Formats: sequence, C-alpha cells, structure tokens
Amino acid sequence: MANDILLEIRNLHARVGEKEILKGVDLVIRKGEIHAVMGPNGAGKSTLSAVLAGKPQFEVTEGSITFLGQDLLAMTPEQRSWAGIFLSFQYPVEIPGVSITNFMKTAINCRREAEGKEPMKAAEFLKLLKEKMAFVQMKSEFSKREVNVGFSGGEKKRNEIFQMAMLDPVLSILDETDSGLDVDALRIVAAGVNSLHTPEKASIVITHYQRLLDYIVPDVVHVLKDGRIIKTAGRELVSQIEEKGYDSIVEA
Amino acid sequence: MGKVYIIGKDAVPTSLKVGSGEQVDMTLVVLPGTSCRLDMDVEITGPDASVAISGLYVCGSDEKVGISVRLAHTSGGSISRQLFKGIVGGKARADFDGLIVVAQDAQKTEAYQSTHNLLLSGQAKADARPQLEIYADDVKCSHGATIGRLNEEEQFYMRSRGISLAEAKVLQMISFISPVIDTIADQSEREEVRSVIEGAIRDMVR
Repeated sequence: MANDILLEIRNLHARVGEKEILKGVDLVIRKGEIHAVMGPNGAGKSTLSAVLAGKPQFEVTEGSITFLGQDLLAMTPEQRSWAGIFLSFQYPVEIPGVSITNFMKTAINCRREAEGKEPMKAAEFLKLLKEKMAFVQMKSEFSKREVNVGFSGGEKKRNEIFQMAMLDPVLSILDETDSGLDVDALRIVAAGVNSLHTPEKASIVITHYQRLLDYIVPDVVHVLKDGRIIKTAGRELVSQIEEKGYDSIVEA
Repeated sequence: MGKVYIIGKDAVPTSLKVGSGEQVDMTLVVLPGTSCRLDMDVEITGPDASVAISGLYVCGSDEKVGISVRLAHTSGGSISRQLFKGIVGGKARADFDGLIVVAQDAQKTEAYQSTHNLLLSGQAKADARPQLEIYADDVKCSHGATIGRLNEEEQFYMRSRGISLAEAKVLQMISFISPVIDTIADQSEREEVRSVIEGAIRDMVR
C-alpha cells in the first residue's frame, strides 16, 4: 500500500568534493520495517546515512528522497530531525562545555518552537530525562557530563540511543552502531532500539557484520557495493554474507 | 574567584605590585560595543603570592579591543595564571599582547598564560602575541594562543538532533566563553555578566 511508505529513495547520486560515492541508490521503506544495509568498506554506507541526515559536505547530484511525502533534500538537518529522522552517528561528536541536560533541553525546545509550542516545563523535562537515562542504564551523573567528552566507546553509543529515546523519531538510522561495542553494551543498545520500534516506525541498520543483526532482526537486507544496492533479500542473506563474504554476492 | 571589572565602566588598576603572600584575582570584561586600550603592568615582588587575571571580550561590530599585560616575577616562589578568551565578529579587531618575565633570581616560579579567540567573520581580526622571557632555570611556565572558528562537525551533530543552526552557534559560543565568566566571584555580578554576554551572542547570530 502506497500510504505505508515512509521513505522513498530514487536514483540517488551523491558526491563529496569531486568523488562520486553514491551512484544510483533506490530504496523504499515502509512503516514497521527494519532494513539492514550491509556492504564492504567504502561502499557508501556512511555516505547514505549522512545524505539522509543532510550533512552539508555531501552534494546530491541526481535523484530524490521523499520522507512522509515531503522532499527531504529541500530540508535542513534540523528540519529533518523535527520531521522525525534520527541518525545515530558512527563517531558521535564531542561538544565541550555543553551538558547532556542543556543539549537535550535545547533540542527538544527547538523542535517545540518549530511546532509553535511553548518550551517544555522543567519538571516534565526532568522526568523524561530520568526515564530515558534509566532506559539505557545510564547513571544520574550522566546528565551533567559534557556531551560525549571523555566517554568510552560504549557510553557514546548508549548516549546515541538515549538521544533517540528522548526524540522519539519515526525513522532511525543506525550507522555502524555496533562498532567499538562490547557484548554488554551491544545488548543494551539493541534492546533499546527494539523496544523503541513500533508498527508506525522504521529503522535502517547500517553494519558490516552479522553480530548486531543477531539482536536487531531485519525484515529486509540490502547489499551496498560501489555506491549501488546490488542485492535485496530477506534476513537469510545475512548468513550467506557471513559465510561466503561480500564477493559471493553478485548483482541480480 | 575574581573581582570583576567592566572595561569602560570600572577603573582598572593597571599598575600592580604584589608582595609576599598577597593574592590578586581579577576578571576583566569587555562588553560588546566597547572599544578599549588597556595596558597592565604587574610585578610580583615576593614569595607565596598568587595572581590570577582572566579576561573576556565579545565584539561583533566594529570595536577595537587592545589588551596588553606585562607580568614580571622579580621574586621566586609565586604563581601567576592568565586566561583570556574573545569572540570577534563583524569588522571588529582584537589584539592581545602578553609578556611574562621571570627574573634570574625568581626560582620556583609558576607562570601560565593562555589566549583563545573565536573568529566569526572573514572581516573580523584577532591577534595574539604571547611572549615568555625566562632568566631563571627552575620554573614552570607555559603559554598558548589559539585562533579558531566554530566547529562545523559539532554544528551538524547538534542540528541532526533538532537544534537550529543559530541555537547551535549560541551553545558553542557560550560554552567557549563560560570558563572566563565562571571566574567572577560575586554570584549576582557573574549572572549579570552571563546574561549580558548571552544576549549579545544571540544578537550576533541573528
């Protein structure tokens, strides 16, 4: 059904500087679906997530992206966030001097302002903050720390999932969220992602390895290679890749 | 924690002699719209003295801010710390000269100085000239100067969370300048300076 479509990417070409990285990506994501995008290094996986989030350095030269019926490419990164897109960064950025509390309060109130709403009441905000910190098993001191400054790899990724829980996005893009995680942190992160998932939402899980997909089970698996999706199948594709490698995948 | 001096409003003691065991702690604030030329001369003449001078300037139109601090340790066993931070936008210009002199007899001196500028526009200009003249051999001294621009990776990260570009810049600038505001001892003065600086920063990103 057409009205189930959340995201529709058509013939997407994108480059950084002179280098073309995405060379015609097509992808349709419907409500309730979890998609995995797998592929070797340099295939364009992180470029795809950066283009979806609107990173300024990436230039789209051809194609279109429609999100909930809106032209995503015409929107600023903050407008995309307000519309319900969330990118969990592969390398979360440190923001010295800005506490987690101040960061999240500013994020939530910017969105409310864009929606014509009053800022969130302090008590309501604190309740939400506590609830979501508990959700990713963060201690209460966490909210006072500067965003990602001095965080371990696991803390950074949990912080991403914490922010995702706070912002309650419609489409979550997890860019190599498993990289640098030990098994315990991986479980917390995966449990977080799974419990935020609803039939109205969707996720794109970008990963190199099978490991994360043991915990977050995809409905659809895509293989991205040299800037194009060369194969799309069900979750059985994951084990084929794990056994035989990306070279075994040939374009259908 | 420092006594605050609003440049152009409060008289700054520009020539100081700091004797044995004395403490001086001051925060200089150059508010937006203020052009100034400030030359300070500080001499530490005895042991166990401590001098802390912090300063901030926020100038976003066509101000000219010139600050020079000459700090001499003529006697050893004392400590001095200087921290200056400035946000320079529009066609404003900021110059900082900092000279630390440690005399030959001033052993066991500790002297630190750092200056950081944030440039907001192509026409804004900031210069920092930190200098050390050390004639003693058993001292701890350092100086550093940076001139930077707002980090775009940070901005994209914040925007991806729904923080507008303007608000992201405000957060970046406030977090940059806060360490100096935090050195103001009196709480009501500190909060007053913070609110004036925040207001000025918001005007600059508009």
